[in-house]
Amino acid sequence: MAKQDKLDKKAVKRVDKQTKKELKKSRKIAKKARKAEKRARKKGTGAPAITIGIPRALLYYRYRTLWTTFFKELGVETVISAPTDRAIMETGSSLVVDETCLSAKIFYGHVNSLIGRCDYIFIPRISSYGRHRNMCVRFDALYDETRNVFRGTNQKFLTCNVDELKDEKEKDAFVDLGYRLGFSHKQAKRAYKRARRADLKRRRQAASEAEQLYRQEGTKILIAGHSYLIEDAFIGRTVTDYLKKSGVIAIRADLVDQSDALKRSLELSPTCRWEVSREILGSIVMHKDKVNGIILMSAFPCGPDAMVNELLTRKLQGIPVLNLVLDGQPDTAGVETRLESFVDIIRFKEGTL
Amino acid sequence: MEVNRNVTLTRYAEYNCAFRYIVEEGIEARYIMPPALTKRTEEIGAKYSPDFVCTPFKTTLGSEIEALEAGADTIIMTYGVCRLGYYGELQEQILRDLGYDFDFINLEEYNTGRLRDLLKPVRRLNPKVNVAKLTRAALDAIKMVEYLDEVTAEYYKGCGFEASGEYKKAYKRFLTAMYTAASREDITAGYRRVKEDFQRIPLDKPLRPLRVGIVGEFYTVMDAFSNLETEQKLADMGVEVHRWMNITNQFLHNKGIKNLAVKIRDLCTYQMGPTSTANIWAAKEYAERGYDGLVHIKSANCTPEIDIMPVLQNIGADYKIPVLFLTFDSQTSDVGLMTRLEAFYDMIQMRKKVV
Repeated sequence: MAKQDKLDKKAVKRVDKQTKKELKKSRKIAKKARKAEKRARKKGTGAPAITIGIPRALLYYRYRTLWTTFFKELGVETVISAPTDRAIMETGSSLVVDETCLSAKIFYGHVNSLIGRCDYIFIPRISSYGRHRNMCVRFDALYDETRNVFRGTNQKFLTCNVDELKDEKEKDAFVDLGYRLGFSHKQAKRAYKRARRADLKRRRQAASEAEQLYRQEGTKILIAGHSYLIEDAFIGRTVTDYLKKSGVIAIRADLVDQSDALKRSLELSPTCRWEVSREILGSIVMHKDKVNGIILMSAFPCGPDAMVNELLTRKLQGIPVLNLVLDGQPDTAGVETRLESFVDIIRFKEGTL
Repeated sequence: MEVNRNVTLTRYAEYNCAFRYIVEEGIEARYIMPPALTKRTEEIGAKYSPDFVCTPFKTTLGSEIEALEAGADTIIMTYGVCRLGYYGELQEQILRDLGYDFDFINLEEYNTGRLRDLLKPVRRLNPKVNVAKLTRAALDAIKMVEYLDEVTAEYYKGCGFEASGEYKKAYKRFLTAMYTAASREDITAGYRRVKEDFQRIPLDKPLRPLRVGIVGEFYTVMDAFSNLETEQKLADMGVEVHRWMNITNQFLHNKGIKNLAVKIRDLCTYQMGPTSTANIWAAKEYAERGYDGLVHIKSANCTPEIDIMPVLQNIGADYKIPVLFLTFDSQTSDVGLMTRLEAFYDMIQMRKKVV
């Protein structure tokens, strides 16, 4: 037993040494490339040193300002994949296990579309921001799973690890990321700081804009769903487009002051562990008296939503709730019929039909 | 009994003997053993559960309902790292909506990272709990779990090579001893007896039998009912069945996630899920040791296990080892499973002859 432990320790050391070597090497290459770029820029020719691809799916919608500003501040070129269409969804579905959730399938489609178009594809591992502020387990595995799915290609992936429960802070993760790209700690820190500020500004602005919508006159419907579902051009847009067409004010529940929402979520669900779900729960607590109906929107089969939405339908009384599960069917008639009847119910209740 | 409470904790493989021991000997309340899992348990569980929640949620909910029908008035639900952490709250809500009257102790509420807080639910069960007695009972129960895992592992390695049924009888006798144990002496005696029996009963094992490694999701891989006795079925075909995943290896004697992760650095960098590192490590270990096949068992909709499937596929490709992926939900039929297992067995047997 003791011998085995010793062997393990040796293996840990060996791997550490190896990773350090790899890190040094990658830094050297990146620095060289940047110098070449500078020289080329002086001459007025040449392509950027490295480009980083970002899939337009999953957490991109939540952290896009943070990520893109960070890379922009460092002067790294980024490529963002095109908005989702049917082809992207179908390639994604064919790449992974059937049971994977729709949003993740779309994500793999986006990764696939970026392959060969950039040096690295950026897939951070975001696990937690503290106790009961976890992300879905899928985001823990995303980087490693993608690496395994696309093992046959020569594409390189770039990651950073945010896991505050295990003392891996977001700031350290990004500073480390910048360092690995060949920048100094100081440069990386400054870029992160600016990115953080820009991100906060965007979130605050979005929250205050949503807050104004609640004060408007008219039929208001709260859409409770993940940002990557509502904003997705192929699946979520159907719902928001239809609601806009039918003349109701659709308000997104996830655009809300984060700390307030996290606190208020405890009133509905004291042990909910997912940060995104808690923001939505808190937003529902804060706004349920100001709206006429709630649409619980989820992708098939979303893990956290399966449970949280069940709890919500059990706990929310006295307000019309539509539990809408989107499965990426190409025709929109089914979804539109359900939305139409839901809007009719609300108007009938109000007496405006 | 000191307190008048009928405590229950959902059916979970054979570990209920240890739960019972802690509740009865440590907390000194009455333990209501949930009835053995049946198709009915799964059906009533699935009836009241959301559609695409993982299957263990449905099974445990059904088991809780059956325990309430059997006279329980206090339900304990554990905390966990994945969706398991949310089981408690939703199950309580569902059971309350059904109209049952009970006290629900959700350990997730007490899971703050401090060990001290985990004594609070115990105090809620029995305000005058004797901590010394509880510690002693807990240590005994841990020993019981260790014995149980050791004997179970040995049983599945051997039972396929003994036709008379003596081996199975000895194992069943051991389980009965654990379920009825009232002291450390009872536990040790039961363990010694089964070890002697296993030594004594002659096995007709070939020099190099077929070996299959089983990996999978924490609940379904261990619970014989939930995986439709996959291990027993494989063993009965004459296979040595190995399973690393159990409470002893995962919690009591874990070498540490870091040390396991070292050996799978080429496959994954981070911890992909609660049991993912261990499963990938075990699968790679089995492959490296030249096992004849791998079986991956999971419940339907288990996110972490879905995520490691591409990794297992890569292990299968790298080491040229066949991997059988099995997903279980309340609809899975016994016959369908048998067909798949038979085909898998024939395939690995033919490969063994050729390779």
